[in-house]
Amino acid sequence: MTEKRVSRRAYLATAGAGVAMLAGCSSDDGATETETDTESTEGTVTGTATAVPESLSGTLTVATYSSWVEDDGAAGPWLKQTFEERHPDAEIEYVTPEDGVNRYVQRKQQGAPVDADVYVGLNVDQLITADANLNERLFDSPRLSNAGRIKDGLQFDPQRRAIPYDTGYIALVFDESEVSRPETFTDLTEPAWEDALLAENAQTAATGRAFLLWTVEQFGTDGYLDYWRDLQANGVTILDSWDEAYNNAYSSGERPMVVSYSTDQVFANRYDLDMTRHQVAALNGQGYANPEGMARFADSDDPELATAFMDFMLTGDAQGEIAVRNVQFPAIPESEATLTEEFETYAKVPDEPVTFSYDELQGNVDGWVEEWAREIAG
Amino acid sequence: MAGSRSGRERLRAERVARPLAGFATAALLVVMFYYPVGTVLGEAITDGGLTLAPVRDVLADDFYTGAFAGAIRSPGSIPAGLAGWAVGSLADVATAVAGLGDTLVSPAAAPGGVVGWPSAILAAVVGVLAAVVGIAPGFGLFGFTAWQALLSTVASLALGLPGAYVLARFEFPGRRTLESLTAVPFVLPSIMVAVGFVAAFGVGGPLNRVLAALGLPTVELLFSLEIIVVAHAFYNAPLVTRIVAAAWESVDARAVETARSLGASPTRAFRDVVVPQLLPAVATGALLTFIFTFMSFPIVLALGGLEYATVEVWLYNRVGQLDVQEAAVLAVLETVVSLGLTYAYLRYEAATSRGDRVRSPRDRERLRGVDAKRLAIAGYGVVVGLVFLLPIASMLAASVVGPEGPTLRYYRFLLQRGAEATSAQVNPALAVRNSLLFGVGTLLVAVPMGVLLALASTREGPIARAVGVLAMAPFAVSGVVVGLGLLQTLVFGTTILGYRVVVGGPLAIVAAHAVGAYPFVVRNVAPLLAGLDRRLVESARALGATRNRALVDIELPLVAPGIAAGAAFAFAISIGEFDSTVLLASGGSGTSLYTMPVAVERFLGKQTLGRPTAMGSVLLAVTAGAFIVIDRVGGRYRE
Repeated sequence: MTEKRVSRRAYLATAGAGVAMLAGCSSDDGATETETDTESTEGTVTGTATAVPESLSGTLTVATYSSWVEDDGAAGPWLKQTFEERHPDAEIEYVTPEDGVNRYVQRKQQGAPVDADVYVGLNVDQLITADANLNERLFDSPRLSNAGRIKDGLQFDPQRRAIPYDTGYIALVFDESEVSRPETFTDLTEPAWEDALLAENAQTAATGRAFLLWTVEQFGTDGYLDYWRDLQANGVTILDSWDEAYNNAYSSGERPMVVSYSTDQVFANRYDLDMTRHQVAALNGQGYANPEGMARFADSDDPELATAFMDFMLTGDAQGEIAVRNVQFPAIPESEATLTEEFETYAKVPDEPVTFSYDELQGNVDGWVEEWAREIAG
Repeated sequence: MAGSRSGRERLRAERVARPLAGFATAALLVVMFYYPVGTVLGEAITDGGLTLAPVRDVLADDFYTGAFAGAIRSPGSIPAGLAGWAVGSLADVATAVAGLGDTLVSPAAAPGGVVGWPSAILAAVVGVLAAVVGIAPGFGLFGFTAWQALLSTVASLALGLPGAYVLARFEFPGRRTLESLTAVPFVLPSIMVAVGFVAAFGVGGPLNRVLAALGLPTVELLFSLEIIVVAHAFYNAPLVTRIVAAAWESVDARAVETARSLGASPTRAFRDVVVPQLLPAVATGALLTFIFTFMSFPIVLALGGLEYATVEVWLYNRVGQLDVQEAAVLAVLETVVSLGLTYAYLRYEAATSRGDRVRSPRDRERLRGVDAKRLAIAGYGVVVGLVFLLPIASMLAASVVGPEGPTLRYYRFLLQRGAEATSAQVNPALAVRNSLLFGVGTLLVAVPMGVLLALASTREGPIARAVGVLAMAPFAVSGVVVGLGLLQTLVFGTTILGYRVVVGGPLAIVAAHAVGAYPFVVRNVAPLLAGLDRRLVESARALGATRNRALVDIELPLVAPGIAAGAAFAFAISIGEFDSTVLLASGGSGTSLYTMPVAVERFLGKQTLGRPTAMGSVLLAVTAGAFIVIDRVGGRYRE
């Protein structure tokens, strides 16, 4: 009841602005939109957008990757629906550019309008690539009231532009009827695991890149290539994407081991699969952490709404839904997120998460990956 | 009176028609191809000012060019570096050949004695092949890329030529339908082919199960160069078949009969009369296959792995890191190779076309009966079944099998999405509609455009040859670069007089597809046009026919099989196109312009390939149906 009343009032208050805004969009002219924006947010108290929900209105363009909206029970549609229920005058519109955040880096480089408010699905290397290629600001640093809830050690952007909303840990998934559980990295180069491992291309696949970085962390910059030579001698196969490695090659039984996520058994349980083929191995008890972040575009037409959406993504409800639907760990402590029993039973956290920081990767990661790729393909 | 006036008007209309069409074609090419692509490729030679340093850096990099790199770094050492490579690899080959020789002459010396002799020979042959294979990687990433393209070309010819023979020379129920369907593999997204191949040829796949049931040793084909070559043949052999069959169908029956009546044996008549008329088409098929596989990308990494990376893999990765300059250099080098080959081919075509062809096709033989020839064809049928039908059946099967067994839920999912797709979700029905509309639009633009350029390129002289080479440019430029160019120019737009001009929407997509597709029409039609008897046209003109009338009544009917083959592949290009479509569909006037391959890609997700393969199966079915319809409609004008 209350919500309905609020919604009508908010509608009346902002209907005019909404129409003006639409006209602004269709003329493809940035100037009109900015004007409208100021007008529509005038009434709100700055910085506490979440406290005055009825003032939130307009369309928020959220750029993301396609499985965020397409997957079976994906998190994207749930977030859209729930956010729109809470803010009846606001609308979330997803866009899924093929080349991800690079699309916006290039837009900025070419002086084209960014045309989006929030990016969801940013990881640390993409941020580094973006920073290395731009002089002007692509993202700004929003002040989120929920930012304090984020677990220690997950923040990967020193400037706090990218805010983590979930994290995954890279692990090996293996078939215990074919190979025994590998305990260390050197196990993978032993005859018992010959022609067993499927990995992904670190140039293009997030899982492949994380696994490569994990080996750099393990063997150092002067040792990781030797390790990969041994892996190659032992018959590692590196396919382009996680889909090809996991869904195609591993699922059809071509190899008994694949680089994937430590949450693998959540899926196996959900689809009632044979757990022998879904054993998770944490090498050295570790797992490489791969947090995913969201960021607000500096050119956003509606920074207030963007902030409200980002804050919403860090609420206990949303964090639980994101974790369960995206099958990744929440960015806030598990106890604060609404998780399912299935998730808590089958999602495995490694004893010791490892990761490189932004500063350690900046200026290095491209070289590490390039040297590695040349080693494999050369 | 009235009649003569309208005749004059028609004449005038005809006089403006061709230049107008020529202008429209040129404008389309500039806006949708040369301007966007030029913007990107230009970065290869600009760095503040004009420079060759980036190109030189790539050429002098051992990783990219191997033995060639040393020669670039210090030109004085060309002989030493290359000689070292030549001596090394020749020595390897010589040793292997000597080994083979020894094995052949002395059966008893083979490991395992006379019994083991055949396998020893086999091992020695493999040794020789391996030594030969070892040569190309001596030239780095470019060497390997060219090498796998060459192998793929040979495999595509071997698999495609018998098909052309069967389609052109035999009559059997379903022949027309089979011919219509030859272009189907061409449209399949690489993830579909990867799924089909892994399922068909994997350790637990039907091939190995049959081998095991027969008591034969199983084969491990996946993640090897061999499987990449087979997959390339899967895509390109049908192209060879279609192009060569079109030429074969228009071989002059009377010439063959004359040769036979003068006492030539059937073999002799084939060699001296038929083969020379087929060679340009065979060369066209080989050229196109080489160019396509030289720039192959996703399938290489899906079936072989990063060990078998091609230049295009590196190029794509450079774009991903926003290192546009190095990407541009790699693309320029790829284009130089492709256009160089095209130029060499056109020289050859000009030297061999005989210019005396009229169309009077021979009667086809019936396929029924049993003799050596027909048994060989049956054997070929088995190979076709293995390479084409098995993977396609496997990908269809993947769409109806879930983790827990047979299921139709992926198709139910497609139906459900068709009814209620929300923000940014793909509606499969819309994807089907868009694909078909863009496909038909592409045909309407690309076929006249291709015929026009084919006519321009078959005149005599260097300008015509330049037109011929440039007409191939859309095939010779990396798809990744075309996409990047379109993105940076048309999709991002430019500000003109305070308005941001952005190109996108259905017309832009059709234009981009037409640009990518018309070279097929050119390359299918030009060799046939060049082979036409010019005297026919000249006599028609002398008898008062206008140029256009001679074209419509005489030239076009004579090259109709080429137009039909070109049109089929133009349509296939439109259906299968991904790089440009996904960009143009997201810019400008709307996000609802995605096509079927884009939908396949979007449905890739967690834990199952059921959804993308279900969408891919829809793509397969819709496209196959469309091919048959197009061929039937086109066929009315063909006979």
